[in-house]
Order: sequence, then C-alpha cells, then structure tokens
Amino acid sequence: MKEHENNFSRRGFLKTSSVAATGSLLLGSSAFASTFKNDFLQVWSCGGLAEAFIPANKAYEEITGCRIDYSGAFAAALGKSLLGGTKTEVFAPRVIELAQKLKAQGKMLHFVPLCFTKYVLVTPKGNPAGIKSIHDLGKPGVKTVLSPNASPPGGEASTIILKKAGVLEQAQKNAVVVGDCVQTVVPDVIKRTGDVAVMELRLTKKAEFAGKMEVLEIPEEFIPPRPVSFVIGVMKFAHNRDLAKDYVRFITSEKGQSFFEAAGFIPALSTEGERLIQKYGVKDA
Amino acid sequence: MREIPVANWKRRVSQLGFLVILGEFSFYGVFRCPFAVPYVSCGNCPVLQCPGRDLWIPVWIGLLISGLAFGRAFCGWGCPGGLVSELLSKLALLKGKARRALEAASKYPVVIASLLVFFVLNNPRWAIPIRTGDFFNSVSLTFEHADQLWLWRTGFILVGLAFALIIPHFWCRYLCPTGGLLELFNRISLVKYFTTSACNGCDSCRKICFAETRPAEINCVNCGDCKKICPVDAIRLGHGEKRSEEQQAQAA
Repeated sequence: MKEHENNFSRRGFLKTSSVAATGSLLLGSSAFASTFKNDFLQVWSCGGLAEAFIPANKAYEEITGCRIDYSGAFAAALGKSLLGGTKTEVFAPRVIELAQKLKAQGKMLHFVPLCFTKYVLVTPKGNPAGIKSIHDLGKPGVKTVLSPNASPPGGEASTIILKKAGVLEQAQKNAVVVGDCVQTVVPDVIKRTGDVAVMELRLTKKAEFAGKMEVLEIPEEFIPPRPVSFVIGVMKFAHNRDLAKDYVRFITSEKGQSFFEAAGFIPALSTEGERLIQKYGVKDA
Repeated sequence: MREIPVANWKRRVSQLGFLVILGEFSFYGVFRCPFAVPYVSCGNCPVLQCPGRDLWIPVWIGLLISGLAFGRAFCGWGCPGGLVSELLSKLALLKGKARRALEAASKYPVVIASLLVFFVLNNPRWAIPIRTGDFFNSVSLTFEHADQLWLWRTGFILVGLAFALIIPHFWCRYLCPTGGLLELFNRISLVKYFTTSACNGCDSCRKICFAETRPAEINCVNCGDCKKICPVDAIRLGHGEKRSEEQQAQAA
C-alpha cells in the first residue's frame, strides 16, 4: 500500500509537473514566478529585436516581479564586446555563428532558436508602379530606393538579394535614393519618391510606418541565410541561472513569441519557424 | 561683493523647468546620439529611448519662435547645456580676461561646419546606435563602438563645456552652433535688453554679466541680470533704441 502510495504520488508529481511545465511553456508564465521577485537580469539583443523585446520584457517583469535591464544594439558590436570580455547574462544575437563563437569561448552556456526575419519588397500604398516581383527592380523606368551602406542586415543583405535575382546592376542604375540607413529611406517609399525597396518585414510593422506601404514576397531562393536567424542563449555570467533559463523559457514560449510575431518576425515556435530551423540548421550543436 | 540681481530667481526657475523638459534630450544628444550633428535627425533615429524622437520638432519650432521674439534668450533661460556652462563658470579662473574679438570669429565656423555636415554630407552616423539600454551600459557601449569622428565630436563638446572652468561660458560664447544661430536673431528680435542713450559706458553691466557682455551686444542672452545694476538706469527691455553712431561709439 505504501509502495502504491509512493508510486501514485510519484506518478502524480510527474503528471502535475509535466502539466505545469506544458502550461507554462504555452502560456509563457514563469515556473518560479515568486522566486524571482526583486531579482534582476541583464539581457542584450540585436537592436532589430528591440520592438519585440521591450513589450516581452514588460510582460515577464509583470509575471515575475523581477527587473530586466535590457540593451538592444547592432549585434556585431555587442558580440565584439562580449567576445572581448564584456559580460551580460542573456544574449540574443542575429547570426548563429556569433552564438557559436561565444559558446566555443565558454561564455554562452547554450542557445535555442528565437525567431527569423523576413526580407520583402515594399512599395508605396496602392503600388502605383505596379511592381509584381523582384525582377521588376531591373526594369527601365522603375525608381528604386537602396541603402547599400546601411548596417549589413539592411545594406549587404539587400544587395545580395538583388544580385541573386540578377538585377543588382540595373536596380543600382534605377536608384533615385541611395541612403546609408534602411530606416531613413522608408519615408522615400511612403512619399512615393521611389517605387520599390527591399527591406525587412519588421520595419513595415514599426508604428511610424505601419499600414503606409504595400508588402510583396521575395522568393526564398534569393534570401541570404546568414542574417535571417536569431537565437537566444544563457551566458555563463548569469548570477541567477534559474532566472536566466526561466526568462529564455518565457521568451520562447507561445506568449513570449507572440511579441516577436507582432513585431514582424517569424517566431521559432511556429510551423514556418520549425521549417526554417531545419532549413538553416539553427541548433545548438 | 557682487550684488545678486532680483530677477535672477525667475531665470533659475525657468532653467530648472527647462532642465526637467529638455535635460534628458540634451544628455542623449551628447552621449548617445549616433549622428554627426545631434538634435537634428531625430525623426529617423533608432535610439528608442531618446525623448528627442517626440521633442525635436516642437523644440526647433520653439527655438525659432523664441529667437524671433527674444533673440538668444533660450541660452540664458532654457538651455540645459547653458545651465551646466553657467555653473562651471562660477569657478572660472580667467574671469573678464577673454578676448571678445574671438567670440564671433570662432562661433560661426562651427555653425557653418554643422550646416555643411547636415545638408551636404546628409548628417552621417558616426556611432552605432544603442537602441535601448540601461544608463551606464548604453553610454559605455556607445563610446566603445563609436567611430573616431564621433569621439572627436563628443570630445569637442565636452572639452568645450569644461573650458568654462577657465574662461566663463567658453562653449556658449565661442563654440555653440545653436547659440550661433540664435545670435543671428538677436539683431532682429522683437524684444531684447538694450542700452539707451543715457548709457555712460561704465561697464557695470559687463562686470556682472556671466557671459561678460553688455545688453544687445554679441553673446547677450537677454537674461536681464544687469538691469538693476545700471547706475544710470540705461538698460531697457523692448525693441531697441535708434542711436547715432557717435552715441554708440561713446557707449562702447
């Protein structure tokens, strides 16, 4: 009877735990909510993710009562600092190689897929030039808006896309705006200075640009894989690893991921995200 | 012992009020703004935390109106940088010894350089924008990843401000491009402090002036601190008084 009670209790515990874990994973609630009250966690991420992380952090703070000290900036710069000796507790870089380097140095304990960015064509509202595909950027008379000297995820990636589509040279000739920052050229599309630009979908979701442009798909074969993936990992410097792990668990939960979807990213926790994880091999080896 | 003008407290209240409204924006412009010329490209700036994203247009419209109405009054009544400069100037080593001839000669090249960088070079980004982050980390990261040009630009501002410890209001008098632009309005502003023909050139006003100038002359910020000190009551607030060249020369 005792054994039966023990078995029952063990089974019951496992059952309850798994239900709680599944629930927390789906709902994004923290498993140790009360434990982390008044604690803090330093989180760094690629700056492009800031629009998703800010509300996600607020939600996590409300659940747990802990404070998130969040910094978002160009991931390569943050990565350089971290590889050089600066410390943070959780890091979410763009480009999986950066996470792998940090892990190889023993600074990142492990990482998981976070989300993916999507490159699209944007046109002014109503698509007045009748743009249908990436190949139209090479047609005479189409006014393109480019920003080749922007930071690599904006500038270099767009150049690669145009090159892969075989329209780079002509698109450059068609350029009516050549900026050095992707964000600064968005108004040139909205105001119809140009007919079309290549940019990340996330930019079209920003409050100041939302609903002011048409979005067209770019075939995946033209998209460079490198800047597409984002991961998130716990660093060895985390003063409270349970908190850091719980935070990552929340960010990658259904609730956490909803903030990334709203900001224009493809969440890792989605059918499309799962496909991209497999395609780009986004895993912690 | 120097008399403390009665009007001074109103200016202090105004300065503190503007510090609350513009202090953070001023801080971001110097320490975290990635652009070559700060405070002017805020509409497209990725630094999410900077209040300038909402404030920059009202601030520039306000400066224009303020310039037309009161000349350089913003420098003395509202500018947080001016307040810092004023506080540092209390400790200045060389009070009353700076050469006034340099005041115009040095300020306008900075205005012209700023306008060229903004209009001709399209105000490039010389630092990596730390989009959001806690106070010390963000400033530290901005400095760590900034271009040399950004470090020179920021050093130029900070050293210029710190020079107030040697020459009172060094930045405001010799280098500030915003002050330089507002200086142009001083000539046409609707309301300003000026000296009447009763002025006997005793220089009491210059001696009490923190910017070491006289009403309606270069670097006068229309603070009015000098009004009560004039022994012949020759300082007035208004549009100005037409005076003959002889009178002007006499006053000078």
